[in-house]
Amino acid sequence: MKDKPWFAVAYMFVITVFFSTVLIGFARLTQDRVIANEQVMFERAVLESFPEIDVPPTPQVNQRFSELFKKSDDAAGAFVYLKDGQIAGYAVPLEGKGFWAPIRGVVGVSKDLTTILGISFYDQNETPGLGARITEADFREQFEGLTVGKIERPIGIRPPSVSPADNEVHAISGATQTCVRLEVLINEALSAWLEAMNGREVDDE
Amino acid sequence: MNGIGQDVWMAVVTCFAAIFTQNILLTTFLGMCPFTSVSREVKAAIGLGVAVVFVMTFTTVLNWLAYYWVLVPLKLEFFRFILFIIIIAAFVQFVEMVVDRYSPKLYQTLGIFLPLITVNCAILGTSLFMVIREHSFIVTIGYGFGSGVGWLLAILAMAGIRQRLNESRVPEGLRGPGITLIIAGLMALAFVGFTGVLS
Amino acid sequence: MSKAPRDIMLDGLWRDNPIFRQILGICSTLAVTNVVLNTAVMCVSLTVVTMMSCLTVSLLRDWTPRNIRMMVQTLIIAFYVIIVDLILKAYWPEMSRNLGPFVGLIITNCIVMGRCEAFAGSNPPGPAVLDGMFNGLGYSFILLAIAVLRELLGMGTILGFEIPYFATPYWDKWIIMVMPPGGFFVLASILWVCRSIGAKEVKK
Repeated sequence: MKDKPWFAVAYMFVITVFFSTVLIGFARLTQDRVIANEQVMFERAVLESFPEIDVPPTPQVNQRFSELFKKSDDAAGAFVYLKDGQIAGYAVPLEGKGFWAPIRGVVGVSKDLTTILGISFYDQNETPGLGARITEADFREQFEGLTVGKIERPIGIRPPSVSPADNEVHAISGATQTCVRLEVLINEALSAWLEAMNGREVDDE
Repeated sequence: MNGIGQDVWMAVVTCFAAIFTQNILLTTFLGMCPFTSVSREVKAAIGLGVAVVFVMTFTTVLNWLAYYWVLVPLKLEFFRFILFIIIIAAFVQFVEMVVDRYSPKLYQTLGIFLPLITVNCAILGTSLFMVIREHSFIVTIGYGFGSGVGWLLAILAMAGIRQRLNESRVPEGLRGPGITLIIAGLMALAFVGFTGVLS
Repeated sequence: MSKAPRDIMLDGLWRDNPIFRQILGICSTLAVTNVVLNTAVMCVSLTVVTMMSCLTVSLLRDWTPRNIRMMVQTLIIAFYVIIVDLILKAYWPEMSRNLGPFVGLIITNCIVMGRCEAFAGSNPPGPAVLDGMFNGLGYSFILLAIAVLRELLGMGTILGFEIPYFATPYWDKWIIMVMPPGGFFVLASILWVCRSIGAKEVKK
């Protein structure tokens, strides 16, 4: 029976159906978690872009996010950070091409639109161990306190061998290309957002 | 029209990037297995390399269609591993049959390499990267072709160098694959130099 | 035909080590060996996939028609790889993102296919699992050695922890180690060392 041609076809069919069924079942089981993970990823990045916020463990991220942040039409696509009912800053989403694939992140900008409070990335596929290290705290913390919208001195990411001047941070060694693109991406996103905001602050009074 | 023009430009840039700055073999190490074994002779290297360029270009495009037209609408994205490998295997088989039927001469030179390609990680890797990097259809064509040419370039250069190495004295433990890896490392180092040429 | 369990272990770990004896399957993992944690996750995934695929292939060996066995094996391997990928996506999304396509590339890893074809297809389940496991471990220990060297020399850390001396300014970090060329050099050096030791053993 084993050598008959129909057996091979039937066998392949049964095996395929069996494994596919198990897989689809398994994917259904994990689906909710996967989707939740993806949502939480963005919300966590928003929370992380303000260093003063304690980021809670994954199950509570959504709740904390909705307590503190509000989507506002006046904020030109950014989320408004509310502390005790008062506006304390803006979470501006970033998106653009990295070395390999799109990089997506969030910049926390102060209430008066002048200073970067923090930065965070939630989607990137840079080289593991090199460009991918932009997500590490050591790199991100350098951005805290930089000035937004200085035309003559935009935010710069300099090679580690050069000591950074005003408004500049150290790049990750070995990941020059990622950093070059990141610099463009951050400056473009921020200046586009500032223009859309047109210097105004959202009314909270 | 502007959109398409920009896409074509992106495809050209991606193609060159895949050959030089993001060479699939020298930056992500994919396709190493045939690389170490076939790269002994220039002629065999060309044969395999050309077959890879051909198969890679077409399977990447086919996989793009399969992914965005079949798997995404059905929400079965996790099935892509199986589907991609089936498409690659089927395509290789199909090409083998066509070549055998219409050009026995070509079959003699290329034919032996075709089965090797199904298990070449670089082919599957290109398709998987194409999904992760969210390339558009036109960019995918450039990317698939460029990755193939990049691989061909690497294996060809390697075969040339190794033919010369036959006469040199290499420490015993380093003979064969060891020295191949060192050369590959030096080549990768040279290719790092291309970084920044394209952005 | 039957091999003693001890021989299976030794062959997988050293005498027939898939990497430095057969130069198989480095493709899918070498790219992530610049960080120890990523490497460890890849190695665990690969070992589990190899073990489970060997088990399944071995269980089905009496029913599988010979002419379609490659297709069946690929399907089985892909099945386990997808399961691993889904588990990572659901329970460790950061890692899943870090590894990108490399988990999927385990499918084309020559070791998994090679062990299924060479051993599991003609042996009972017990030895087949053992063989898969020890080939996976033999592969893992070499890759982990590469990863430890690359992360230590390139960034001065291991598993993200700063190592005395290497993380201080006294140590000039070899950035090239975390870049792709470093992977080739470190693997070549390890091959050299292991093969030299192996050659001595044979001479004895």
